[in-house]
Amino acid sequence: MDGFVLTLWLLRLLFLALLYAFLYAVVRVLLRDLRAASRGPAELGRLVVLASPRGEPPPGYSFPLDVVTSLGRDVNSGIVLDDPFASSEHAVLTYRGSAWYVEDRNSTNGSYVNGARIEGLAPLGFGDELQVGEIRFRLDRGRE
Amino acid sequence: MSVAVQVHPAVRWRLHPRPRTTELALLAVVAATLIAGAASLGATQRLREATEAGRAIKALDLAPPDPRSLAVYLGALLLVHLVFVLAGRRTDQVLLPAVAMLGGLGLLLMERLPQGLVTQSFGDAELGLGQLQLAWLLVAMAVISVLAAAVRSDAWLRTYKYTWAAAGIALLLLTFAFGSDVNGARLTLSIGPLSGQPSELLKVILVIFLAGYLSENRALLADESTRLGPIRLPPLPYLAPMVAMWAIALGIVVVQRDLGAALLFFAVFLGLLYVATGRQSYVVGGLILFIAGSWVLYNLFGHVQTRVDNWIDPWRDPLGAGFQAVQGLYAFGRGGFLGVGLGAGLPTIGGHLPIPAVHTDYPLAALGEELGLIGLLAILGLYLVVVSRGLRIAAAARDDFRAILAAGLALVIGIQAFIIAAGNLKLIPLTGITLPLISYGGSSLLANALVIGLLLALSDRGPEAPPPPRRRRGLGRFRRSAA
Repeated sequence: MDGFVLTLWLLRLLFLALLYAFLYAVVRVLLRDLRAASRGPAELGRLVVLASPRGEPPPGYSFPLDVVTSLGRDVNSGIVLDDPFASSEHAVLTYRGSAWYVEDRNSTNGSYVNGARIEGLAPLGFGDELQVGEIRFRLDRGRE
Repeated sequence: MSVAVQVHPAVRWRLHPRPRTTELALLAVVAATLIAGAASLGATQRLREATEAGRAIKALDLAPPDPRSLAVYLGALLLVHLVFVLAGRRTDQVLLPAVAMLGGLGLLLMERLPQGLVTQSFGDAELGLGQLQLAWLLVAMAVISVLAAAVRSDAWLRTYKYTWAAAGIALLLLTFAFGSDVNGARLTLSIGPLSGQPSELLKVILVIFLAGYLSENRALLADESTRLGPIRLPPLPYLAPMVAMWAIALGIVVVQRDLGAALLFFAVFLGLLYVATGRQSYVVGGLILFIAGSWVLYNLFGHVQTRVDNWIDPWRDPLGAGFQAVQGLYAFGRGGFLGVGLGAGLPTIGGHLPIPAVHTDYPLAALGEELGLIGLLAILGLYLVVVSRGLRIAAAARDDFRAILAAGLALVIGIQAFIIAAGNLKLIPLTGITLPLISYGGSSLLANALVIGLLLALSDRGPEAPPPPRRRRGLGRFRRSAA
């Protein structure tokens, strides 16, 4: 009888210990994951080409973005657009604080965020669509 | 409710199995824990029976009370794991084990409570509490694995957010018109033999709607263009549809007397508003609104007054209104630090359960009695793991809609667990709501399975970046050009 009670008591403690062993294992996985994430994504964001009637840049292509990236027909732009409706210095994407902004550089045909024409500086969230000339982009988070 | 899921053109039916070693290892620990718990439960129950019959126990017998259902549950977990492996997606590997542990603890508890608490007959077979909970857990696991393996596109959630909101409100109105009253609250909708609580489903729909709306109008809501005296507000036209949706949901819930769900909706609404806009003034304003609303409700509704009075002093009427709360507190007290052991808690007083609704509203008190403070802390830790994992998925999501959706789903589970745990422990007035993934109940388990399945689908990190092209030098290049 006493042996039985002792075994039962040990079993109860084993159950609780296993519960904590599980939590310990999970927390270790979480910490490993957080450490990997804190090394940070190498990129601040990515501009994915959704549609481009002339095929330059090709649809599906994605550009890793710098803190300041210029878009335009000019060959010195960060992202060169082959589009007759784009101005030579059309728009600039900037990363400020922890958010992306797009600035229209007085282009002839304007820049559009989610279908609405922007005036000057406008915030650009991840997942938002940006249209410059006939080319449509989407802003995505950077790859890890 | 049927949903037209857009089949993504990129769905390929060729299998690309991907091993998930972390998940498998964690599931092994879950299995060991549950087997140890079931063994201790079975032995305790036999010891108790023998003592009550005045017999001495001869041999050590550690068989679980219902080995078959435990085996079925563990087998189902392994099956879900295999489905994930075969689906080959890079989804989260911690959520399933954490959920499996919570569900397993709930299963152990339901097998330990008197089986006659809830019965349902299917033809000749009559299922008791434990078997019904097992059946619902299996359905929940199936929902989780289908969502996590098959949902790739989020367009069907994002595009139809107003349709979802309308469906949710229609569901609530249906309940109000045709539902049946249980304990003075009209929460249950019965269709044929099945009955469910639509407010559980509504919490998922609310999060989907809010995520769609907030991600679309995030920048506008963070703007402060309308001025109302010293208060600056975002442009009113953009606030109106959201506040209307929230007020309708809340109003119906208050009319239905489902205070727990109302509290949950309000907290999730405020949390998501903060996540989307990052403005503390929303939270402060919301809390002021909450205090004002509570005061109005307290003065208008008798049942709110009863709840608050019970919270302030349950011992005023310990055998009437305060009975449940007092018995719950005594259960926590009996548990102490290490608990009395699974199966050794107070079973019944004079043929009645000491805590009414222990399987739906008070499972934490039963677990607190049998596993003690240390077991309770572990359970709260498990919820913390689920929430932190959800927020991590939100932080890594690839766009705002997915981020707000993941944060909202994680908050729903966390806030619901907090509301009922704090209610059981007399930290806040008790509001009837289930303990996610542990409580008995089909609607609750299904709604939380939807939450977990969507979180897993959202956690997909997409196909791995292709390995850098191998540079072929010298002979390699010649070989290729020759071929």
